[in-house]
Amino acid sequence: MRIFKKTALAAAIGLFANQAAADTYEGVPRTFLWNPGTSSIFDAAEYKKDGPYVIGFSNASISNPWRVAMLHGIEAAAERNADKLERFIITDANDDPSKQAADVQDLIAQGVDILLVSPATAEAMDPVIRRAKRQGIPVVLVDRSVPTQENFISFVTASDQALGRISAQWLAEKLNFEGKVVMLGGLAGASPAEARIVAAMEVFDQYPGIEVLETQYTSWSPANGKTIMSALIQKYGQDISGVWADSGLQGSGSIEAFLAAGYEDGAIPPHTGGDFNAMYQLSVQHNVPMVGVDYPPAMGARAFEVLFDVLDGKGIPQRIEVNQQVVVSEGHETASVQADVFVKDYALMDKPGSVIMSSGVGADYDPATFSATYPK
Amino acid sequence: MTATATNAPTKPNRNTVRATQKRELLLLLGFLLVIWAVTTALSPRFLTPANLKDILIQAAPLGFVVIGQMIVIIVRGLDLSVASIMATVAVISTTTIDSTPVIFAVGLMLGAGIGAINGYLVAYRRVTPFLATLATMIVLQGIRFAYTKGAPGGTLPETFRWLATGDILGIPVALIALTVVAFAMHWVLERTIFGRRLKLYGDSPAAAYMTGAPTRLLVVMAFVISGVMAAIAGLFLVGYVGIVDNWTGRGYELDSIAAAVIGGAALSGGKGSVPGVLLAALILVSLFNIVVIIGLSIELQLVIKGTLIILAAAVYMKRSQN
Repeated sequence: MRIFKKTALAAAIGLFANQAAADTYEGVPRTFLWNPGTSSIFDAAEYKKDGPYVIGFSNASISNPWRVAMLHGIEAAAERNADKLERFIITDANDDPSKQAADVQDLIAQGVDILLVSPATAEAMDPVIRRAKRQGIPVVLVDRSVPTQENFISFVTASDQALGRISAQWLAEKLNFEGKVVMLGGLAGASPAEARIVAAMEVFDQYPGIEVLETQYTSWSPANGKTIMSALIQKYGQDISGVWADSGLQGSGSIEAFLAAGYEDGAIPPHTGGDFNAMYQLSVQHNVPMVGVDYPPAMGARAFEVLFDVLDGKGIPQRIEVNQQVVVSEGHETASVQADVFVKDYALMDKPGSVIMSSGVGADYDPATFSATYPK
Repeated sequence: MTATATNAPTKPNRNTVRATQKRELLLLLGFLLVIWAVTTALSPRFLTPANLKDILIQAAPLGFVVIGQMIVIIVRGLDLSVASIMATVAVISTTTIDSTPVIFAVGLMLGAGIGAINGYLVAYRRVTPFLATLATMIVLQGIRFAYTKGAPGGTLPETFRWLATGDILGIPVALIALTVVAFAMHWVLERTIFGRRLKLYGDSPAAAYMTGAPTRLLVVMAFVISGVMAAIAGLFLVGYVGIVDNWTGRGYELDSIAAAVIGGAALSGGKGSVPGVLLAALILVSLFNIVVIIGLSIELQLVIKGTLIILAAAVYMKRSQN
């Protein structure tokens, strides 16, 4: 693992000579270190088993670049661990919970030793996960969880709360606690989208000078981000002093809307939102102050490693959070929010805007050329 | 006989196709003006040149798609693959060469080709349009993901962006392009033998066949037009957003069917007009903007859209009974 990191780092320095990749935060997740609560540990001794293993991954879909990056991260992890694998079977439910229920049953029928599941929706998958547990198959969840904790071993994720709070705190401080803010949420009803909005409101509500003009959902679509922000610019005009978006997917559309409305470079209000290379590129090109906290697809690769910990019978935390970089525009750090890396060093200016950051595949990750070999 | 002859000149016949069409158009225009007027009363921010320009630019892609969708509906078809065509064209043609004409040429050829496949399946293989275009939609989605591996790598040249977002003397280029295409398609539909045959086929395929019209070719052509229109729309939309996305145009298949129905196209075929469906498209896009401007949640526009479709269906049903 460490060797891999070093080679990735070397590749990064070689490929992007001006990119200070070494400056990113490499430690354990701060959401773990600073977590005021504790996560209970699941003793996986009962699932201890000798390899090689048959592993099943029931994926919700690859309907957006984020999910593709997560899948690639998992496949890369499978390649690294190929010697421990008898078979690694991946199914894709195309965002359909009933298809995913059938997928999970199929995987169990194929004799998997352990299941990795990224649920399409929390509620619909709950009984399916329960059934898997009853059949003696341990389940690890990634990205989205299900309500009943005792049915799965661990949930691998990143902190939506940290993402929401850090970005909101930065925006509030950037505006000197005075200003009118538009909030662009993700997909209405999706748990990460809601959790981030709640966390951001926790910050904004503390400052009477910060007024939230409006909260609108964008389905994490650049096109919706642009159309909605265009209308909001017409509605509020210069009153908008900051835009909080939980992801660059719609945040990039918002910056495009300001450009289309005739805002000069440097005059566009501060934005938040990570994940999406286009967001960082636009921030650099048009001098938009921003903070980006990615929701890393690398959690897929981390979850894959956890599968082996379970099969080794180790103690497994029931909630595992992966590391998140805090990316801030140079010269726009605030008292509470310091950069792990500056936007100008982080943005991949020569790569497509649709690349999703923090994939965990390596610095030279390109979804178009990615391939991995493992026993299928 | 003599009674009708003396009465006829004093009272123009109000039941001709053209007269009905005119009344439907006025109804749509009236509805558009009413929702604009109500919004203007509620918010002074709505009726500004900048906002109207936004609405028109955003309406252009849907405008292209709905014209194609309507022509397919006229020949008793339905094109569920338009959104998939938009995204596929956007993703594939922008990765060719960094030149606007090449991007457009590749895009239009792709659109026409996919439309031709749809048409072939429907006209020659007798697959129902719903199934044929559903299958195409899924296949295209697969091709797109296989081609892009999930992250489309296209870049958009400056001129390309300008076509979708720029203006000439204050008039958006996208709107000018739509107007030109709309006039051309209107002329084709109302003034050429091809257009009349399309409508005749929609009214009665048997009758069209007996007049010697190449009926299968008509259907293929309708789908080709729809494919080309979707391709143009996809390019304008991706140029407008500025970010190449595997889901460019998501939702346009249903929006275009909705706009076609609201605009007076009958799913039973044979009926539809370019100005009607364009007005309907403008109504739908206005609603999206209005919902935001008067501070309602985006989700509400779905409720309004659905209600409109039911309303339109009810109004047209009543007309056809009369």
